[in-house]
Amino acid sequence: MNQSSLQSFLRRNPYLFTLLLLVVAIFFNFQFQDNLFEANVVNRNMRVLLPTMLLTVGQAIVIIGGGIDLSVGTMVSMINAILVTRILPDSTSSEIALGFFLACGTGILAGMFNGLCVAYLRLQPVVTTYATSFVFSGIALAILPRPAGQIPRPLTDFYRNPQLGIPTAVYIIILLLIFWVLLRSTRYGQFLFATGSKANAAYTTGVPVVRIRFSTYVWSGLFAAFAAIALTLLSGSGDPRLGDDMTLPTIVAVVLGGTRLSGGQGGIAGPLMGVAILTVIGNIISFANIDSWYQDLVNALIIIIALAGPGIVRLIRRLIGR
Amino acid sequence: MDVSLSAQHIVKRYGGVVALADGNLNVASGEVVALLGANGSGKSTLSKIITGVVSPNEGSLLIDGRPTTLSSPQIAKKLGITAVYQELSLIPDMTVSENIWLTHEPLRGKSLIKNREVRARTQELLNLFSGTFKSLAPDIPVKMLPPDERQIVEILKALSTQPRLIILDEATASLDTQQVNRLFDLVADWKSRGMAIVFVSHRMEEIFRVADRATVLRSGRSVGDIPMSDATRESLVELMIEGASTPRNIAIDSVKSDAPVRLSVEKLTTSVLKNIAFELRDGELLGLGGLHGQGQSDLLLTLFGDIPHTGKIILSQKPVNFTHPRQAMDNQVAFVPGDRATEGLLLIRSILENLQLPSWANFGTPLNINRARAESQNTAQSLNVVMASLDAPVSSLSGGNAQKIVIGKWMSRNPKLLLLNDPTKGVDVGAKGEFYNLLAQLQQQGTAILFYSSDDDELLGLCNRVLVLHDGEITAELSGGDLTHANLVSASMGTQQENNV
Amino acid sequence: MINSLKALQTRLSPPLLALLLAIILYFIGGILAPGFVNVEQAINIVRLAAFLGIIAAGQTLIIISGSEGIDLSAGAVVTLGAILAFRISNGQDSMVIPGLLVALAAGASIGFSNGLGITLFGIPPLVMTLGMTGVVAGTIRAVTRGELEGGTPPIMGKLISAPLVAGLPGVIFLWLLIGFGMWLLLERTAYGKQLFAIGINRTTARLSGVRVQLVVLATYTLGGLLAALGGFILLAFSQTVFLNLGQPYLFPSIAAVVVGGTVLAGGQGSYWGTMSGALVLTLLQSLLRALQIEEALQLIVLGSTLVVLISFYGRERKLRQ
Repeated sequence: MNQSSLQSFLRRNPYLFTLLLLVVAIFFNFQFQDNLFEANVVNRNMRVLLPTMLLTVGQAIVIIGGGIDLSVGTMVSMINAILVTRILPDSTSSEIALGFFLACGTGILAGMFNGLCVAYLRLQPVVTTYATSFVFSGIALAILPRPAGQIPRPLTDFYRNPQLGIPTAVYIIILLLIFWVLLRSTRYGQFLFATGSKANAAYTTGVPVVRIRFSTYVWSGLFAAFAAIALTLLSGSGDPRLGDDMTLPTIVAVVLGGTRLSGGQGGIAGPLMGVAILTVIGNIISFANIDSWYQDLVNALIIIIALAGPGIVRLIRRLIGR
Repeated sequence: MDVSLSAQHIVKRYGGVVALADGNLNVASGEVVALLGANGSGKSTLSKIITGVVSPNEGSLLIDGRPTTLSSPQIAKKLGITAVYQELSLIPDMTVSENIWLTHEPLRGKSLIKNREVRARTQELLNLFSGTFKSLAPDIPVKMLPPDERQIVEILKALSTQPRLIILDEATASLDTQQVNRLFDLVADWKSRGMAIVFVSHRMEEIFRVADRATVLRSGRSVGDIPMSDATRESLVELMIEGASTPRNIAIDSVKSDAPVRLSVEKLTTSVLKNIAFELRDGELLGLGGLHGQGQSDLLLTLFGDIPHTGKIILSQKPVNFTHPRQAMDNQVAFVPGDRATEGLLLIRSILENLQLPSWANFGTPLNINRARAESQNTAQSLNVVMASLDAPVSSLSGGNAQKIVIGKWMSRNPKLLLLNDPTKGVDVGAKGEFYNLLAQLQQQGTAILFYSSDDDELLGLCNRVLVLHDGEITAELSGGDLTHANLVSASMGTQQENNV
Repeated sequence: MINSLKALQTRLSPPLLALLLAIILYFIGGILAPGFVNVEQAINIVRLAAFLGIIAAGQTLIIISGSEGIDLSAGAVVTLGAILAFRISNGQDSMVIPGLLVALAAGASIGFSNGLGITLFGIPPLVMTLGMTGVVAGTIRAVTRGELEGGTPPIMGKLISAPLVAGLPGVIFLWLLIGFGMWLLLERTAYGKQLFAIGINRTTARLSGVRVQLVVLATYTLGGLLAALGGFILLAFSQTVFLNLGQPYLFPSIAAVVVGGTVLAGGQGSYWGTMSGALVLTLLQSLLRALQIEEALQLIVLGSTLVVLISFYGRERKLRQ
């Protein structure tokens, strides 16, 4: 009896393991970096985390719906290029607003393109979004051949500095969580999970599977735009390859967060913690005085071990069961 | 409530195959119409067409007298037509209440789901079946439920849309007797309230219990629409198959009691099975009976090495502990699954590839394809497989012929122990006869056969000894005079066996 | 028009279609870029396609194995193979074989690790191989510390990259040999039959006695080995190594497999298809370069072309029939 209530508790809260990992990781980080909990350090960490977190929310939605989006990183690059060519040091507020509007619009359009291919044309998500990532990368390079651009100080200051003593990023994260809770309690949320869990059963039940799949990619594009805005405000300038390396971390974060890659279950709290874990691990490695030539390797190994975590646990349980 | 549906001259083609050539079905308020047909008769296609899952190529559909096009299951549902499938439409990761209310959850305003109302109304629906289930509750994920309870969820899900016309498509296959009785009580209630019900099934006794009329399909055409009062079992079966029905009972020679014991099992335990023990001799056809999901498949798969276990298994007088089907195969054990599409065949591959899948290692490196072809040709011929060529994809074969390939895979390996997991499910009457003959042949050659069937008549007709499983345990061993339908059923329910003096 | 295209698609096998497409591209190139169509250019294109084709051999096996099989670490393993061969052989002809063997061993170990993660720990192939890329790249950095010492033995250039017989470089013959070898492996060994089986239906395969996990493990190991072989051969062409040597071949390797008709869901396909696909992709890239289209536009065209190509072969089943 005890085992089954424990099991049902774990089932309803899949990201307890993630939380544990995060706590352990923060603990180790603190060992190497004793100013970890100081206000300005927290702020610096949060503002660096936020772009990836925003991107991961979009990825999580796509994955829960049963797909995957390998173009999110290059979407960020592309939108970053658009932002820095539209928002110049002397831009007026309406030009700035237009810039943000254009950014979101581009994200949505890019997402619609992905959605069209995967949902309506029924092309395989992995290769298709891998292919579109090259298209977006090309567009980024076409708009911004070389790193350039300068975002007006007031904007970057707003993002980089805490507002009312709390990092800007925290407000956004709270908004994200509220967004997710609302989404979960709508019919759309149910459709999303149904589509990712068993699409043909969902279809038979009358769920508009194709439209739902399409919409997940549009969300992904929109959140990529948000991520690009955050990243651009953070860095203050543009680089046509700025976001390219962001794709893998979003996938790893989703997996670390307890969400299955095959879809149909999970949430965003887990993936958001997953992003934090990855960043904290990065911190540990840079502060732990590991030879700089070894840092990438250690980072990659830790990621693999974290990914293998659930599998190792399952294996041990199976071996004991025999 | 007042409703009528009339499907007239429906034609449906899948590529080059004609699934329905002339499908007709009429049903109105307060009626239960049974839809009967052998496999390949088009019965499930017709049922999918009237619920909007599949679109017809030709023909007309009149609902309440008006010609209608059902372009999706949603449209059908809006018109009050809902189907209950065999758990095809449940989302495994979602809970019972989430599944029941999916797409029509009660909403606050225009978007937020009213969770409390959902739970309350789910409980009301669950109460309709109270006393007939063990695990059902609103917040349990469906994937944790046994097949019979999942079926109940499917039924409740259809009911929650307040349909005017409900199609029960093989909906009783996973239910136990108590649940079927409750369902039929509900059907009577629905009738009195003016619902129309279509009952798709192959279980004669249920059809005679619940239906008012019977529509029979054969080879994609409607061949009869008869009031049940004018029908008999034989007359319906005759309509379903061309020619007289194949006799189902085969005279079995009693097993020589000095035939060697091929398989001996003691204290066999898995996560589902509890202390199973029995013996099986060469040339014997031992049946496994009982209700669905009581451990029959598990027993067969465990013997085949696919499920970890504790206990003793002695095969051909040697203790064995198989951890993979390969080991069982190398010890001349063969396994024929019931769900051939997902467990027995590689549908897109050729007949040759399917026949030789377990045996390629015997053909050297590089593979001697000519020898493989010759052997496969022999096997196919000895089993009377009707095929275009060895290179035709196995998906091009009819159900009965495809099942022969599933068996044929093992024939050339001369198995000493044959494990059959409900092999005639979905095989039409004609092909079943050929299969029974094959079993008799194998018995005479000395093969020991362990045979699970969900069809009690089949067990009674073929076996001279049946082990009945209930909840993972053997509750009865029936043979000789004890092997009666009544005893089989009561042992299946877990009640004590009546010993005939 | 759509109907006749569809009819064409069903009557011609994907490898043949791809080959046809390659020929069409070649002549389009001739029209758009004068001087494109000549023997030297043709040989060059086939040579470049050979490198891609050999690198894509492992990818072909892995994708056939199904269950979302893919190897995103192939690019990194190519680089690793090249770097190891470069360092071990150190420019000496006598050390070519040891260099090759070390490269192959390393590639096989990486592939084996991928296989272990996927079979033993249940990590999805996409994630596992993506993560492994980081491990391989990190290992290269840690071991070489940014200094890529070594040399390419002259014999490699002579045998592989330079014209050998009738103006054709050795790599083309090597590619044909590998092509034949892959055909043997896929169609004339028990392993090949089992590979297709697990790509189609793992349950049926298992219940027919196929040791699914072992076949998967062997496939990823072989995939790593072939990628390292690709790196070794690439070294003969590039004559030097750098940290990003293999990465540009990753996406084209997957594209070549898909264009050649190997379905991403697994269970269907051939290496001939991959070879045709490699030709198509190399032609496309060469054409774009010959037209002096800037990198940005090249990427856009490459990506869009692949999307168009997948629309012809890569579509999944409809929900409503």
